[in-house]
Amino acid sequence: MTWEFLLEQFAVQFGLWWVIIPAIFLGIIVGILPGFSPQNTLIMLLPLTLAVPVEQAMAFMIALYCANHLAGGIPAILVKIPGSGGAAATTLDGYPMTQKGQAQQALVLCFTASVFGGLITTLATLALLPWLSQIGLYLRSVEMVVVMLFGLTLIAVIAAKDTLKALIAGFFGLLVGVIGTDHIYNTPRATFGFLELYDGVPLVPALIGLFAISEALVMLEEKMIVDEAGRERALRVRWADTIDGLRLSVQKWWHIVWTAFVGLFIGIVPGAGASIAAFVAYQQSRLWSKHPEQYGTGIPEGVIAPESANNGVTSGTLVPTLALGVPGGSTAAVMMIVLQYHGMVMGPRLFASNPNVAYGVFVSMAVAYVFMIFTILPLARYMSRVVLFETTYLAPIIVLVTIVAAFGERQYLFDMALALVFGVIGYVAHKTSYHVTAILIGILLGPLFEQYLVRALRISQGDLTILFSSTLGNILWGFLVLSLVLPVLKTRFSRSSPPQP
Amino acid sequence: MKKPLGADLIIPALALGFAAYFFVSIADLAWEAKANGVIIGTILVFLILIQVARIAAQWARGKASLSLETVIEPREAIVKRVGLVAVTIAFIATLHWLGLTLGLLLAMLAALWLMGARGKVLFVIPIVVAAAAYLLFVALLNTDIPHGPIERLFS
Repeated sequence: MTWEFLLEQFAVQFGLWWVIIPAIFLGIIVGILPGFSPQNTLIMLLPLTLAVPVEQAMAFMIALYCANHLAGGIPAILVKIPGSGGAAATTLDGYPMTQKGQAQQALVLCFTASVFGGLITTLATLALLPWLSQIGLYLRSVEMVVVMLFGLTLIAVIAAKDTLKALIAGFFGLLVGVIGTDHIYNTPRATFGFLELYDGVPLVPALIGLFAISEALVMLEEKMIVDEAGRERALRVRWADTIDGLRLSVQKWWHIVWTAFVGLFIGIVPGAGASIAAFVAYQQSRLWSKHPEQYGTGIPEGVIAPESANNGVTSGTLVPTLALGVPGGSTAAVMMIVLQYHGMVMGPRLFASNPNVAYGVFVSMAVAYVFMIFTILPLARYMSRVVLFETTYLAPIIVLVTIVAAFGERQYLFDMALALVFGVIGYVAHKTSYHVTAILIGILLGPLFEQYLVRALRISQGDLTILFSSTLGNILWGFLVLSLVLPVLKTRFSRSSPPQP
Repeated sequence: MKKPLGADLIIPALALGFAAYFFVSIADLAWEAKANGVIIGTILVFLILIQVARIAAQWARGKASLSLETVIEPREAIVKRVGLVAVTIAFIATLHWLGLTLGLLLAMLAALWLMGARGKVLFVIPIVVAAAAYLLFVALLNTDIPHGPIERLFS
């Protein structure tokens, strides 16, 4: 790959602005709506992407995919409803910022962290592609079990106010995540007799119920979602607030960079995805922070970390797809189908035989991010006014529209009822501090955790010591223990240290 | 004043009931199919027992009551909350006959009326929301959502 080749690729991709800009807007709409995943949208648009030249098809799909990752944070910040699982962690600090009347700043932080996080990791991927593509090969079932457990420890660490309640919520979610047929014999487990649960608990209804519906039911207690001071601030929206958001982003530039790389490395692991990346980045951000106690109260770092990471994932996911032919996620799988339809053979040979496509994908991603910052940033001012709606109108719209969105993923009426059930569970959990996020992480990780655990146990014929049999796995165990112990030690240390004059 | 901790037992009770059902449903399966569930379920039951013991200890010391007020308060929102859930159930149950547009229009009307909305806004919001849902889910995305009289009229 030479500089001339790279510059030529950038010129080609900038020339595709007429494909990229509409895809960005479509991606934003799809990302804002819970239940509309980029892969479903791409599947619906498959006839279009198969009909046009591969460069245009990839530019369209990549722009839609990246915009979708960015847009999931918008409803997460404004109304505490993540547009996708990857934005669930954004609610933790994004929504409190909105409640404080800083919705515009939070949105700008979300946009800049997403765009620059995505851009930096895309450029890094371009430079490090030959080496990055090897990482996935070193992670086998044993290491993946530890990676999953690492995700599980977030349950306790994120909801540190009451670790026991958080653990109950998390393990309850994990058990719910095991509903469905097992991976080996396809025998149904705890499906309550519903065929619709044989494939497991669908994530979108769970997400909609636990976040959107439960939040709407809680929202009814107040006239508005912001307090009086926040309302006053929201009424006086100015461009100065957008600039303030930009100032905060520049101030926290290093935070954007390192959390984006957390996303990139997790994205490379097939199956891990944006949700895990966002939570890991949030947890690491809190772990290394000088003021961890402020997380959850509405601070910029709490918005930057998950947003930067979930966009860092976008380039990471494509690494195993192109280099190994193993899709890093479902959207990557759809892209792989389109590439294969156009005669591309995935794997290391793709970079030699079709460098304009292999590298062009990442160049296209970088260009999409550049376009995105100019198209979406000015909209923050207007989007932030959503908080001025009275809950009298907002709650019914949220409940009834999101329940329809629950239908979108699998097109079952059953999923709408399931979302309502999760909504009621989420409401009780919310009111009694059982942390709905912990339940969601559990549901999210349940199937993956089982898949890798059973695979490892089958190799060892049921011997659990296999989980401690690999060097890389043991290093990961060390990190896991560290991330559990460090917050406790830090709290103890800060309590015992004398107060500063 | 005693801390109302009765509601803190709802999620553990639900989780315990589900864990029990899960164990029954996997009793006759091969070890590969139940290994994960047994590990997770056992840890969950253990955690629930600790939580129950914690609440029981506070209750025995007279520091907590088993009142459910945490989930009920504020009482003035109960009618709205239960009403919204009831309207949603009715919407899902009748969707097959009414179709998305008409069903959503009526459900929005009922929900907004329950929330206390009156006047023009009571009709404007449902019409806008139902029209937007029709455009997105039926006209644009062509999903398999049930069609009713309005969808048939425009098809």
